[in-house]
Amino acid sequence: MSIKILHKGLADSLQDNGRYGFQHLGIPPNGCMDILSASLANYILQNEINTPVVELHFPSSQFQFLEDAIICVTGANFVPVINEKSIALHTPIRVQKNDVLSMLQPLEGCIAYLAIKGTYDAPLWLNSHSYNATRLNTNDLLSFSAAESYDANTANQLNDVLNLELIEKIQTNLFSNNTPIRILPGPAWQDLSPTAINELMSSSFTISTQRNRMGYHLLGPPLNLNIPNAYLSSAVTMGTLQLLPNGNVIVLMADHQTIGGYANLAQIILVDLPRFAQMKSGVSFKLNITNLETAQTLYKEMYAPFKY
Amino acid sequence: MQHKFKHWSIYTLGDHAIVFALAAKMDVAILNKLKYLNEFITSKKIKGILDIIPSYHTLTIVYDISTFLTRTENANEQLQLFSDKLLKEFENTFTDEKELHDNFENHLIKVPVCYENIFALDIENICNQNKLSSAEIIQLHTAKIYDVYSIGFLPGFTYMGMVDEKINIARHPTPRNEVPAGSVGIAGFQTGIYPINCPGGWQIIGKTPWKIFDPNPTQLAKFKVGDRVQFYAISIEEFNNLNEYAK
Repeated sequence: MSIKILHKGLADSLQDNGRYGFQHLGIPPNGCMDILSASLANYILQNEINTPVVELHFPSSQFQFLEDAIICVTGANFVPVINEKSIALHTPIRVQKNDVLSMLQPLEGCIAYLAIKGTYDAPLWLNSHSYNATRLNTNDLLSFSAAESYDANTANQLNDVLNLELIEKIQTNLFSNNTPIRILPGPAWQDLSPTAINELMSSSFTISTQRNRMGYHLLGPPLNLNIPNAYLSSAVTMGTLQLLPNGNVIVLMADHQTIGGYANLAQIILVDLPRFAQMKSGVSFKLNITNLETAQTLYKEMYAPFKY
Repeated sequence: MQHKFKHWSIYTLGDHAIVFALAAKMDVAILNKLKYLNEFITSKKIKGILDIIPSYHTLTIVYDISTFLTRTENANEQLQLFSDKLLKEFENTFTDEKELHDNFENHLIKVPVCYENIFALDIENICNQNKLSSAEIIQLHTAKIYDVYSIGFLPGFTYMGMVDEKINIARHPTPRNEVPAGSVGIAGFQTGIYPINCPGGWQIIGKTPWKIFDPNPTQLAKFKVGDRVQFYAISIEEFNNLNEYAK
């Protein structure tokens, strides 16, 4: 069974929760930029949470289903339509052979996920379906397996048990743009001048148009280090705020390099990364320092429904 | 969390990683110690560890928040106890630095490099800037045994040091649009090998016929942090015979 890509999008790819255990060889984790929305899509379809999903950026690919299927679209609201009829987000949707799925407009957020009941059939590389460089192309066939047999009623049955409270909680978390992004100070924090710390914490930062799966550049006040420091490269994570020599900040995202030699200022806490990933270019936000306990407690609470 | 244990600094990196750091310098004794700490931690098969990433003077543990710490209360305290207990045990186990060093003699990897002009894109540049002949550059580059301090930037990209002061040369101010895979370069006191064709600023002095990174899961990166490497010069004929890209 397969789905045909009628027109390729800007940067759509197959992703799962990413690859760990190979960063010492320079192999990055990759994986979904917004793991929360991807997990939600699989949760709604009662798939395994780490089942691969198609990550959509705008303009997105256009898909044609060559067989019947049940799908779910989560994350950003790109106004999904099937044969020009709009469909609901975070809802199991029954699609029929030859149906065409398109995304019309980036209304809210900037990364959407297309999950399928069952799984996409793609080879694993080092325990993950995420590949740094592979993008969906026009005329590609994305094959999938329904896993278990389902009939016309399955979508209705999934719909009946939809956890609306959880969906509401996740959507509120993802698109509350006025809430600060929470960070924990990193190793180079101590090298920031008091003025720079003050500016970092009191200023608004804006997401630049220079952004991709490797990192988001921020527009904000130029920051200075106390001492013009040269750092020996060490490990970085998704959500690391690096200070570039020109005083600008870049936030490393899912396809980040495994090590970095720029000043490592801070890390966005895991629970805030999906919300950060969904911020459009031009959106402004402030930073807020939190603590380890809070960060870990919030993470565990948010992801508890997905760990079974 | 940021604290000290003897000569170690231990600090958290965000909410799901912890770093063990020694003095911030390129030093083979530090490299060896971290290599053994890495093996020590790996052998303990600690639940929830996703990655252990060595690089120069640091060893970073990336963990799964859901399984690494048993409770979220007092996470800082728990991490401090974890790292102190670990390092105490480690320091008691590995006291004989000389023995560590002897062990390393076994891990010398001899890497063929063709330094002929068709591959040595920047050797003339180094000749001019550093007032040396090509032969002298090759002699100096092959004479030393290098330590692999870090792998990153790209899968398998190998950072080694330190080169002889006479062939120390800064990166190109503007990176070359494409450096061929296998190219061996110098950047400051470091030497390294490009795993794939990619943009890069290192001064290229030759090319190895070896595939430094192969996505085949049984191969992957040719080197790992802590390996010892010595280059030897080969002719174009030998390069062609050994060329792993041609296969």
